[in-house]
Amino acid sequence: MKGLFKSKSRTPADVVRQTRDLLISADRSPDPRDTKREEKMAELCRNIREMKSVLYGSSEAEPVPEACAQLTQEFFRENTLRLLISCLPKLNLEARKDATQVVANLQRQQVNSRLIASDYLEANFDLLDILVVGYDNTDMALHYGSMLRECIRHQSVARYVLESEHMKKFFDYIQLPNFDIAADAAATFKELLTRHKSTVAEFLNKNYDWFFADYNSKLLESSNYITRRQAIKLLGDILLDRSNSAVMIRYVSSIGNLRILMNLLRESSKSIQMEAFHVFKLFVANQNKPSDIVGVLVTNRSKLLRLFADFKTDKEDEQFEADKAQVVKEIAALEPQER
Amino acid sequence: MEHPWEKKFPVNAKDYKLYEDIGEGVSATVYRALCVPLNEIVAIKVLDLEKCNNDLDGIRQEVQTMNLISHPNLLKSLCSFTNGHNLWVVMPYMAGGSCMHIMKSAYPEGFDEPVIATLLYEVLKALAYLHENGHIHRDVKAGNILVDLNGAVRLADFGVSACMFDTGDRRRSRNTFVGTPCWMAPEVMQQLHGYDFKADVWSFGITALELAHGHAPFSKYPPIKVLLMTLQNAPPGLDYERDRRFSKSFKELVGTCLVKDPKKRPTSEKLMKHHFFKQARAVNYLARAILDGLSPLGDRFRTLKAKEAALLGQNKALYEDKEQQSQVRDFTLVIKKYSVMH
Repeated sequence: MKGLFKSKSRTPADVVRQTRDLLISADRSPDPRDTKREEKMAELCRNIREMKSVLYGSSEAEPVPEACAQLTQEFFRENTLRLLISCLPKLNLEARKDATQVVANLQRQQVNSRLIASDYLEANFDLLDILVVGYDNTDMALHYGSMLRECIRHQSVARYVLESEHMKKFFDYIQLPNFDIAADAAATFKELLTRHKSTVAEFLNKNYDWFFADYNSKLLESSNYITRRQAIKLLGDILLDRSNSAVMIRYVSSIGNLRILMNLLRESSKSIQMEAFHVFKLFVANQNKPSDIVGVLVTNRSKLLRLFADFKTDKEDEQFEADKAQVVKEIAALEPQER
Repeated sequence: MEHPWEKKFPVNAKDYKLYEDIGEGVSATVYRALCVPLNEIVAIKVLDLEKCNNDLDGIRQEVQTMNLISHPNLLKSLCSFTNGHNLWVVMPYMAGGSCMHIMKSAYPEGFDEPVIATLLYEVLKALAYLHENGHIHRDVKAGNILVDLNGAVRLADFGVSACMFDTGDRRRSRNTFVGTPCWMAPEVMQQLHGYDFKADVWSFGITALELAHGHAPFSKYPPIKVLLMTLQNAPPGLDYERDRRFSKSFKELVGTCLVKDPKKRPTSEKLMKHHFFKQARAVNYLARAILDGLSPLGDRFRTLKAKEAALLGQNKALYEDKEQQSQVRDFTLVIKKYSVMH
């Protein structure tokens, strides 16, 4: 009977509390004597949808800030997020999507000008582990992945994921056969490596060796076209970011890296070639090129110059033409170095 | 609550046999195909990623949306995977093809009213679901309304659909210029204040006219002219001599969708209660009414393609899609400036 009299008298905090109770009972292993189980699941899905409409508003009404704050505060006062994440596989598709959107929205809600979601996650970092390995589960990957991407908007959370053991798994997730999941993992990976500049720089400095060894062998030399294409684009974004300049100098001083980039320059794919050029130019522009790099560039000089001679973008691109002219000039002027 | 009986479609090109092409877009072709291990006929959209320069994120979102929707009136993807530099999106095969193709092959003057009511009601259910879940379809038109042999109707092509909830913020309006000019709502053309779910309701009204006449209003004009006419003329309606065959309630439905002020258009949910839809019938009626006697989809598509190629030969400039697109882009800039000044 309770259901009949709801909504009017229920505050947003009531909705959260009821959701939590229903989650607790859903989280328990199924009790065969519980005849109301299905009813309770339906009630749970309705509650999640109601939280969503408080946070997002409806086609008729904009969300009310006070209601959002109240809901957020009650949500993080107890372990609702943990319950929601662990019960997610038991929900139907629509409720999973609603829950994902609720979690996404909560990451941005401020209570007394604090992002309390961030505080909660800092005390519950293990939840991030569950979300990351969610990519292993085809049915849950897109939901957990999208929650994860919202959570790493908080710098401390992104730092935790970067430094966790799970970071290595992204190199495999990006190449999962399901395109939608692989692309989602790639989007999260990119977010982790570009969003919080100082954290990223620190991570790359500390983890340079294994990270770029894996990046080269698993991503840039992957047999998968889309993996190579996304990886070379992201590499350019990382190396060209000013906050990563130390990492960039280190990367473009390695002859092994140069070889990989020269192979990418020879790809038949125009988009890969183009992105590879944006990284390759850094090797050439480096004012302190190690002698082995100069050696390789000199040995391949005529091939490179021929390649660049018919290297064109579809649309006119002044910046690209200027970069290319500079690279050609530098390579043409190189002298073999004696050491 | 996963359905254990839901089939898992293989994510490897080797498991599929491509047959004839049944649809074509700028960077994608759709094929009829056999999923060998499941022995099931499917449709596969093959998209050349090399031609999609920087929009991998958009493609990811489209594919994810198609994967995460679950509504009997929406075409979902069964799985997707890459094969070399192509993306394969596997979808249910809709043997009747699109309403636009059905009209072009057999009903050049449009459908009868009960057929239109039935089709539109099914489409509206799909739109109401999308809108409730925060999506704008952005490309509602007869070419995206697919019919199966038993009459089941599904709205397809999320090529340009956007999610209002994408980033956790409810963005009330989007500011991107997408869609096909003939079906485009005035506020989408102007790009001044962004737009919302109501843009789909306008396109829905245009689609109603398209199903009634066999083509969208202004469809014989170049895009530039379409933009101008949409912005400057009174909204199109069912008020010509030839439209006398249609009921008053149909005319009202079109009139209520094609109001220039988006705020004055009804929501898709409200529209479902419009009395016009009292005429809507069970979908197996469509199978009898419009699919009987049609040749197989692949043959129809080939015939239409040949016809269009001939037309293209006759009047190349008018049909140069690329050129038209860039004209449209230039022109919207002009409109924008114009609207700012006034």
